[in-house]
This record gives sequence, C-alpha cells and structure tokens, in this order.
Amino acid sequence: MSRIIVVTSGKGGVGKTTVTSNLGAALAKVNRKVALLDADFGLRNLDLLLGLEERVVYTALDVLAGDCRLAQALVKDKRLNGLVLLPAAQNRNKEAVSPDDMKKIATALAKGYDYIIVDCPAGIELGFRNAISAAKEALIVTTPEIAAVRDADRVIGLLEAEGIHKISLIVNRVKPKMVEDNKMMSVDDVLELLAVPLIGVIPDDERVIVATNKGEPLVIGDHDCLPANSFMNIAKRLEGEKVPFIDLMSENDNILSRLRRIFGG
Amino acid sequence: MCLRNNLITLVYGMVADPQLSLDLPSDTPFSPLVETYSQIRLKREDNRLFLVLPIQRELEQELSWTQLWQELKHYLQGREKSWATGDSVSLIAQDQLLDVQQLQTIAEILEEVDLVLETVVTTRRQTAVAAATGGYCVEQNKLSQLSLTPDVRTQEATLAEPLYFNQTVRSGVELRHEGTIIIFGDINPGGMAISAGDIFVWGRLRGMAHAGAKGNRQSRIVTLQMDFTQLRIADSVARYPKFLPKSAEPEIAFISEEGISLAKAMDFAKTHEFSELKAVWLDRQ
Ligand SMILES: Nc1ncnc2c1ncn2[C@@H]1O[C@H](COP(=O)(O)OP(=O)(O)O)[C@@H](O)[C@H]1O
Ligand SMILES: [Mg+2]
Repeated sequence: MSRIIVVTSGKGGVGKTTVTSNLGAALAKVNRKVALLDADFGLRNLDLLLGLEERVVYTALDVLAGDCRLAQALVKDKRLNGLVLLPAAQNRNKEAVSPDDMKKIATALAKGYDYIIVDCPAGIELGFRNAISAAKEALIVTTPEIAAVRDADRVIGLLEAEGIHKISLIVNRVKPKMVEDNKMMSVDDVLELLAVPLIGVIPDDERVIVATNKGEPLVIGDHDCLPANSFMNIAKRLEGEKVPFIDLMSENDNILSRLRRIFGG
Repeated sequence: MCLRNNLITLVYGMVADPQLSLDLPSDTPFSPLVETYSQIRLKREDNRLFLVLPIQRELEQELSWTQLWQELKHYLQGREKSWATGDSVSLIAQDQLLDVQQLQTIAEILEEVDLVLETVVTTRRQTAVAAATGGYCVEQNKLSQLSLTPDVRTQEATLAEPLYFNQTVRSGVELRHEGTIIIFGDINPGGMAISAGDIFVWGRLRGMAHAGAKGNRQSRIVTLQMDFTQLRIADSVARYPKFLPKSAEPEIAFISEEGISLAKAMDFAKTHEFSELKAVWLDRQ
C-alpha cells in the first residue's frame, strides 16, 4: 500500500519544500520508490531545490490536459534510484487545477510508488485544498515562532475537519542557543500547544541553505551532518523504526553549560 | 457600543486581597460585543431535526461558501451525537444562495455524521430550484411556521441546550452557541468561544472566550487554567495582566463591582452571589 503524504504548514517560508526534497531523497536512500508532487502552482520551486529545474519538460497541467502521459512528465533524479518529481506549472495560476484533478494524479502515482509526497503551498485557500485532497496523512512543518505555530494549529484543525487524522509534526530551524537563553520556544512548548505526535526536529543550520543553493538535497550531498541526519531520521520514523531524537541541546554544549544543567541551572 | 471601564481584579480568599487593576489601552479595536449573531445550529422541533444556517442579510460580513462549509464541518464533527444513524434532516437554508453542487457537499458533510439530508427549506427561488434538481424535498418561504423569527430566537437564547465540544478549539476556529458551551480540550491562541451563557473549558484557556455575549452579566467563564489573550463577559473586556503569574488552580471569571474579576473556582459558589439590582457578582461577606 502506498502512502500519500502532504507536507503543509499554513505559513510560508518555514521549510515545507526543504523538508519535501530531503525526505524524498532520504526515503529513496532506504530503497523506497518515491514520487514528489509539487502542488505549489505558480510558485513552484521543488524542482529547483532538487536541482532538476533544467530537466523539466512537462508539468502536471500537461498531464491533466492530456498533452502528455503521466510517465513522460515525471522527472527522474539521476543521483538516486526511485526518486521522481512531478513538477507544477510555473506560468498558470492555482485556479487551473481542482482538488479532483490532484486526486486523479496522486491516485495514478500511487500505483507505481511507495510514497507520494505533496509539497503544499502556503495559505489555506484553494491551493491548500488541492494539495490535501488526495492525502491520507500530513506532516506539519513549523518553526518555533508564535506566528508559525499558530498557523500550524489552524491547519491541523482544517486537516482534522477534512478527515485527515494521521498528522505528525516537524519542528524546523531550532536554535538550541536561543532556546537555552529563553529567547525561543522549545520543541516541548510547540508540542504542548499543537498536541500532535512529533516526528522530527531539524536544527537551524546554514548547510541547509548552502544545499538549497546548490540544488542538491543535504541527505545526498553533505550527508554526514546533524541536519542531514535529522532528515534521515524522519524517513526512518515514517518507515516505522523507533529512532531516538537527537539531543540538539547537547550539540550546543560547552562544559560550562553542561555543568549548569547537571546542577539544575 | 460603549464599553464599561475595564479592570481586572483578583478576588482570592475572604479578606480584601491586594487588587491589581489594569486599564485597557484605548486603542484596542473592538467589534460590537453584544450582538444578535446568527449561526449554524442543529435543533429538534416536533420530532424533526433541523440544520439551521445563518441568515445572510443579518451577518455583518458576507459568509463565504468556504467559511460556511468549514464551520459546518467543525460544528457537526465537534458535536456530541444526539441523533440516530440515518436520521433525516431538514436544512433551513434561510436566504443563503446554494447551488446543486453546494447542496451535495452539505449532504456529504451530514452523511459523515450519519445524517441524511431530506428537505431543503429556503426563501430563495434559485436555491429551491437547485434543491429540486438535486432530488431533495423543497419547502419555500415557510420560515414563519418554524418559529424562527428573531424575537423568538432571542428568547430561546437562555433555553438553548449546552453545547459539548469534544476537542480543542484551534486557531482560527470560532465556536458560537446560544447557550452554555462546555469544551473538553483547550482553547488555543487564535481560537474563540462565544456563548450567550456560561463557558466551561476543561483544559487551558489560552485564546479568547466571550460569555453572556447577548448581554447577560451573570455569565461566568470557568477553566482549569486561565492563560487567555482576552476575556469578555457581556459588554466587559479584560486582558491577562502581564505581571500576573499563572495560577495552578482552576479559576473563574465573572463581573464584580470592579469589572471582570478572577477567583478560585473551588469556592466561588459558596462565596459569591449575583445581585440583580447592581447586575454584578458580590462577595457574600
Ligand atoms: N533547517 C534550516 N536551517 C536553515 N535554513 C533553512 C532551514 N530550513 C529551511 N531553511 C531555509 O528557509 C527558506 C524557506 O524554506 P522553504 O523550504 O522554501 O520553505 P517553504 O516551502 O515552507 O516556503 C529557504 O531559503 C531554506 O533554505
Ligand atoms: Mg515551498
């Protein structure tokens, strides 16, 4: 049985596309067949993050219009066996696609892939409804900021109303130093409010941005670093493995702060 | 709408405790507090089950279709099931313009909670035509027979059965009910509960709650933890004072002579009584 998972957040710029590309690559690395579906029509950039931009010929719209077959539109990632992307159209607006269209595409993809991961646009309008229409599960991405968490909360409510109850949380761009100084919400604070199970914590790390600019998901390139491991762990947890959460706080430790914690500071 | 001078007072114990007061900044924007709101509700009358939609012309802002179906879903799925599987429902569509597709969507939402849309009651010709096309029974312009005229609805306010809401009120959700609201969950920041009666939150109140929204100053708000962004009772407003530490104990908010006040929920029934004359809660001492 293949799994159709939407990556969504409400707020823009919190890391949905980054998570989608890395998670896709991470699942392909554990030998899964993965199709990434860009549902951000008009503002697509999943192809960019994957470094596949210049190989895009057809888009989901061409498939729907009958101008090409689904298999023709899929862009294969040459670095990883089993990873493909169905690009969104850049030039036309969101109104060109309906929730039923998206369902049709996702259902067709489900026949040949283990995972269909849908990269959702920001907002809760039609683009959001399109992206969630076929999904059976959702990954909520948020940063530990009040506005992002509040939007995540709203989106969780909407997903529940849509009957999507398998919802997990990814907290992205955590800065352990700021959490320690009480300048940032902790993962626990976020979890306590949103009350959905945690599936991943990703540190704020400039290597993520460097990888984005190179068009190479971190888990493929600079794969032996903390953020890359965080993405790999999310993939393993999706696969049902019990992987303990990396203690980001200890990464940030110097002897002094460790001592402080030991002595209850 | 003129707002009362707003203070928030802490009333703990029998002795007059140090009273913290905090004036609201004058620039806080307010929407009218005491409103005759129309809203989605499910009611039983003469053994028929009615799903009543808001009256479009009575709403301040136009209710979009997206808002309508989202609210409908939240309302039905959050409700305690008080009907039998397969019960038929008459939709009081009021003056809402609905096409065949939209009626179909409403039927599907009802189906999800095991209800069957049978009849559509409407004042709009187009909606009646759509309903007939969709194969539903249609009643046009029979609103008066349903005792849903405005005066009757106001009277009903005090009589409406409590609404049990079995989940957390998340950001962006506005829960409205013409009677007491009981929430088994939290009210999250950005979430809102508005009731003509009392509000009980069996969880944390971190968003907004408005009790006595039709003007009843006797209404109370009770929660396991007060951590609200804003509280309203009848036409009074209060914010949580920044310097006030959170209490570990359940608290109650009510209107005292000083404005909206907080007290330990445990003792309130013994220590306070409502003065009809002054329209405030008084300490029995
Ligand atoms: N963990 C991280 N550390 C540093 N930068 C990040 C991290 N996650 C995302 N970013 C950066 O944030 C920006 C927005 O990310 P993106 O995935 O495009 O967000 P969204 O798809 O939600 O709009 C990008 O420039 C990306 O490189
Ligand atoms: Mg994006």
